[in-house]
Amino acid sequence: MCARNSIYTNPKPCKHLADYKLRHGFNTYDSIRNCLKTTPNGRTRVAKHTTKIPRCSFCDRYQGRLYFCLMCSSLWCPSHILLHTQSEKGHEVAIDMDRSELYCCLCCDQVYDPDFDKVVVCNQVKDLPGGSKSKTNSFEASGERSSKRKRLDSGIGLDLKKSELLVSMRDRRAKSCYPLGLRGLNNLGSTCFMNSVLQALLHAPPLRNYFLNDRHNSVQCRKRSGEKLCLLCDIDAISSAMFCGDRTPYTPAHFLYSWWQHSSNLASYEEQDAHEFFISVLDGIHEKESKIRNSGKDDGDCQCIAHRAFSGLLRSDVTCISCGFTSTTYDPCVDISLNMDTSNLSSSNANKPIKPDEKTSVSTLSGCLNLFTRAERLGSDQKLHCQNCQELRDSSKQLSIRRLPLVLCLHIKRVEHSLVRKISRKINQYMQFPFSLDMTPYLSSSIVRSKFGNRIFTFEYDNSNSSAAYEIFAVIAHSGMLESGHYVTYLRLKNQWYKCDDAWISEVDEGIVRASQCYMLFYVQKLLYNKANEDSSFVRISPRRDPFESTAGCS
Amino acid sequence: MSGPNEDKNTQLSSHFFGDLLDSIIVDVASECHRIAKLGLDRNLEEEEEEMRLSVQARARVADPSNSSETNTKYVVDIFGQTHPSIATEIFECMNCGRSIAAGRFAPHLEKCMGKGRKARLK
Repeated sequence: MCARNSIYTNPKPCKHLADYKLRHGFNTYDSIRNCLKTTPNGRTRVAKHTTKIPRCSFCDRYQGRLYFCLMCSSLWCPSHILLHTQSEKGHEVAIDMDRSELYCCLCCDQVYDPDFDKVVVCNQVKDLPGGSKSKTNSFEASGERSSKRKRLDSGIGLDLKKSELLVSMRDRRAKSCYPLGLRGLNNLGSTCFMNSVLQALLHAPPLRNYFLNDRHNSVQCRKRSGEKLCLLCDIDAISSAMFCGDRTPYTPAHFLYSWWQHSSNLASYEEQDAHEFFISVLDGIHEKESKIRNSGKDDGDCQCIAHRAFSGLLRSDVTCISCGFTSTTYDPCVDISLNMDTSNLSSSNANKPIKPDEKTSVSTLSGCLNLFTRAERLGSDQKLHCQNCQELRDSSKQLSIRRLPLVLCLHIKRVEHSLVRKISRKINQYMQFPFSLDMTPYLSSSIVRSKFGNRIFTFEYDNSNSSAAYEIFAVIAHSGMLESGHYVTYLRLKNQWYKCDDAWISEVDEGIVRASQCYMLFYVQKLLYNKANEDSSFVRISPRRDPFESTAGCS
Repeated sequence: MSGPNEDKNTQLSSHFFGDLLDSIIVDVASECHRIAKLGLDRNLEEEEEEMRLSVQARARVADPSNSSETNTKYVVDIFGQTHPSIATEIFECMNCGRSIAAGRFAPHLEKCMGKGRKARLK
């Protein structure tokens, strides 16, 4: 079959292409090597004739697609290329001049050859300004970064294996036992936004393990900092409560008190935004950690548990429309906020019931991610200074993900601001999301590669696909209006879904989760997810506490 | 108003439009062909399966004959417990020491800490 490398399949050449290559060896593509021209938008064309208009050798046609014979450099339109192949032996392979794609005249199909793609890519590197630099940004050695990442992964993995504090407890009635950590949270008065995020955070595998492994020792923390306020201590307390086996709803009052002291601008008795709260909590954790370590490290390298779990890196490419020069910047992020991929936002459509026969286009997560990574032409009022052209030019901007986090939090922006009517409205439109998510198409390597025609060429920093596979573990769903709604969290523990509605925990079918109106989606790298599922039987034992015997609530 | 020139212009426009459209179609076909042959869309089947499951789920939820989600607030939870709609667990406020019911803690704390709209002095 086809040789498979981790990024793409290397297609087997057709008999004619294979023969052609055998005959010509290294000289196969010499005839066109100097005829390729790459335009600023990344498209490569065959442009041999700079003075004459290219025409079909048979019918003289110059409009439409033309093929360039590799053997004799003659030009033919699609209708007459076969004539040429039939009359001249050995002239079987041609190139589509418009797209620089190989075409086998006998198979009448587009064919692929890594060696040809290599020639094209070399030309692209040569032709684009900032020349080797703008393409080499893609070729950046990932040596340093990936070794850091490896340390990170093994660091969290090792936590589980070498920790002496953990004891595996095999309950004889394991099948009927509910997973540890499943416990309701009392609503303190419009605090469902807080409860929903806490449920998701406490069950995020890296954070769950962090607290279960007693990585944040509250006693030492208080001694060291002398401060009473530490969000990590409070979350640690909640985590202990959630995993101790008591199933009566827990009251996170102390956490609320601490959080209001930390985020005084958000401290008020009213329904708030869950995403805003999420960011605020991560910020609080980070702040405390950076005080302890006294480090001025930027978010990308920060080792606090919040960043270790959630921090990723976004890449932004701004390309000059005129000359193709691209300037690239990187920004760390702890989540990705996505606009919804729908153009039907008029209120008349939003609440229409779905007719079974109507094929309405549904909003999907992949659609939103495509929108996020789409090349966007910046308006002419946003001209940027191009280093190559040395003046203000129209440009296009494209985002992609340079480094994926361990835990991927996707925030769906469901608020629509109408500038005309000066009001904000909630978008209730359903959005489909998968339980298994492959983030490969949104990686910088994929986006950059696709911009230059998806050529078969190994970029130095191609990530292996295994770290781009994610599994969902929590969904925060919102129902109701903008000002007065309700949040619930769906948790996936050992392939069973549970609904966490403040104090009420219930089992739900996965279909309920799929059909829910998602607001925040939490995915974790597949390897961690599988590990977490295995380890759910662990029970926390710490020197400060007595080991407990059984989990309440087992039937 | 129509004359031989009008017809010719319309013909030419159609011809150019046809050419442009053909060019775009072949472009997209060529691009998709490459993506398919190189296996860059290998997750297509899984994606379609996820999509199908979602459509199925939505249909089931929309069907009124399905029991779907009962309002769990009036029912026993999976641990066999029932809870009042406003949490009644009593504890001491860490700011002022008063005994407060959990479900009313947030509004109390807001005034107690001097935060929020109602607590602000004008």
